[in-house]
Amino acid sequence: MAILCDKNSRVMVQGITGGAGSFHTERMLAFGTNIVGGSTPGKGGQKVCEKPVFDTVAECVEVTGADVSAIFLPARFVKEAAIEAIRAGIRFLVVIPEHIPIHDMLHVRREAIERGVTVIGGNTAGVMTPGEANLGIMPDIAFTPGRVGTISRSGSITYYVADTLTRSGYGETTCVGLGGDPVLGSTFDEILVKFENDEKTKAVVMCGEIGGVYEERATETISRMETPVLAMIGGIYAPPGKRMGHAGAIVEGKMGTAQEKLDALAAAGAHPCRTFTDIPKTLAKLGV
Amino acid sequence: MRLYEFEGKELFARCKIPVLVRRVAKSPDEVYAAVSEMDIPVVLKSQVLIGGRGKAGGIKTAEGANEARTAANQLFKLKIRGYPVASVLIEPRLDITREYYVGVTIDRANYKLVVIASGEGGVDIEETAEKSPEKIVRKSLGIEQDLYPFEALAIAKKIGVPSDLLKQAAGIIVNLYDLFRKYDAKLVEINPLVVTADDKLVAADARVSIDDDALFRHPELAEMGVEKRHEEGEMTPREQQATEWGIPYLDLDGDIGMFPGGAGFGIMGNDFIHYYKGRPANFMDSGGGPSPERIAKMLVLLDENPNVKAIFGARFGGISRCDDFARGVIMFLKDHGLSKPMVMRMTGNNWQEGVRLFDEAKKTNPELFEKIEAHGIETPIEEISKRVVALAAQEGGN
Repeated sequence: MAILCDKNSRVMVQGITGGAGSFHTERMLAFGTNIVGGSTPGKGGQKVCEKPVFDTVAECVEVTGADVSAIFLPARFVKEAAIEAIRAGIRFLVVIPEHIPIHDMLHVRREAIERGVTVIGGNTAGVMTPGEANLGIMPDIAFTPGRVGTISRSGSITYYVADTLTRSGYGETTCVGLGGDPVLGSTFDEILVKFENDEKTKAVVMCGEIGGVYEERATETISRMETPVLAMIGGIYAPPGKRMGHAGAIVEGKMGTAQEKLDALAAAGAHPCRTFTDIPKTLAKLGV
Repeated sequence: MRLYEFEGKELFARCKIPVLVRRVAKSPDEVYAAVSEMDIPVVLKSQVLIGGRGKAGGIKTAEGANEARTAANQLFKLKIRGYPVASVLIEPRLDITREYYVGVTIDRANYKLVVIASGEGGVDIEETAEKSPEKIVRKSLGIEQDLYPFEALAIAKKIGVPSDLLKQAAGIIVNLYDLFRKYDAKLVEINPLVVTADDKLVAADARVSIDDDALFRHPELAEMGVEKRHEEGEMTPREQQATEWGIPYLDLDGDIGMFPGGAGFGIMGNDFIHYYKGRPANFMDSGGGPSPERIAKMLVLLDENPNVKAIFGARFGGISRCDDFARGVIMFLKDHGLSKPMVMRMTGNNWQEGVRLFDEAKKTNPELFEKIEAHGIETPIEEISKRVVALAAQEGGN
């Protein structure tokens, strides 16, 4: 089993005719992702990697039965594209671009909640279910099917953690990129619940970083979970008031310090890890 | 990103939030000229992107132009929590009878906008929230919702605004909420909103923070001279250089130059250095599939930083390929040269090609590689971190 997407997902790409869209469509297909088509307004009737292109998401859904979509468009077009997908009946949406205006994501989130759609991102590397589906821009080199789920606000941390799990023999069920933007489509707790309900996932590694409140929001869920949660937080030594690469990675006033996040997660029952090598050690101790 | 008070007040004025007559001066002489024209007792307020200027002596009053110049001489020499004062806002001095707090921000955990108000203005709202939460009024709204005057009036009433000023206060709160949505703000605060001796409400301070990522749709801000900047404090010259080159970069106070891949590992890698008792000289995000030219520029930033004693390089080739990374490093070695020891690790997509490019370049120019220790996937990143800390110590770092 997996969460969010697997080999049966019918995936479409919004912005499939663009540079990034077509490049990653080819990569995702080569991995074995079940891509059924895509959309670009005004380019309906074309093909990319043999897959049909439609003018609208609704047409793509109607003809191909797409139920999952990945957005590869510039940030300023994301609000409209996401709402289009949500209203067209997409059930799971991945927002790859970064630096989406915060107010736009508030609108997208509201629309998604109203219609029961899961959105992840912006600024996510995507979702990887090893051996089944690669939805986004993750390099398959780090991943192997296994029994630990991961959630991270960062692409590079996802690769380091997956590589660590792969080489220590645990492997991964699904790796979820939550995204690096300040306001995200989904939160840690929402994804943790999905892993808790997944039989194959025996533990979850969640990797947060400075900025925002999503790690703190997860504490109540973690305290109720049976599946053990390992927690890493980046930015213990980060300076306040300075954005660090990700739009969302900034300590603002008293909000968003890494130490407070780590303390809150540990108090809720998560197992803190300082470095990647701590992960297999902790998993072994927990008998995963 | 945070706006200076004078920029925030300009937005207030455009959104019909009452502010005083204002002048901005960049030198004591400009202050003198402005106050001579105004010809009234004034307040001089240092313009910095950080709180606590009052306590740091960054606000002064003056009766006339001569006194104002003397005060300005002191202000322009001042450093407020480390940041120099480049401009001063001049306003008429006010007689104040009462201070309130009004603000709008985003409740990120619940995806709502929240209007916050308090009968205690002029103090840090976070302090009030901790010490006496009962003095704070909050109202949550969806991003799509308008704030109606009757709702704003109820907020004003709860914080103790007297009857004769209620309608005016409600108007200010509605206008502040509208400004928040119109300008893609993350935070707007009037702290304090004051009642003057002649019974008028005026925004005595302005804290406005705008979403950097929405600047593209607010050309009017660029016209006002607002450009990308930190949330807190001004940029260093190296940070400005990096910003020009499109590289997310921060100066820190250590001696290890960090060249660590994506933003996420950029942040965590700096922690690793601390865990092994080293200190990073910078933060850098070199992710997102950088070109060889960009990689070379990143190394220039580190090599030319006199504080840097040793360099930490890491690449997990995801979307960015290791061969491009290797090309960038080689380009830097040939065009610029490396004057400091560097430990690096390269793994991920196309790592074999990256190693091959290094070997080839090394054969023709072995001298370029003398200061580089290159590792692959067999060496954990934790070991690389320890190694660079040891190298920096050898080079006489702290």
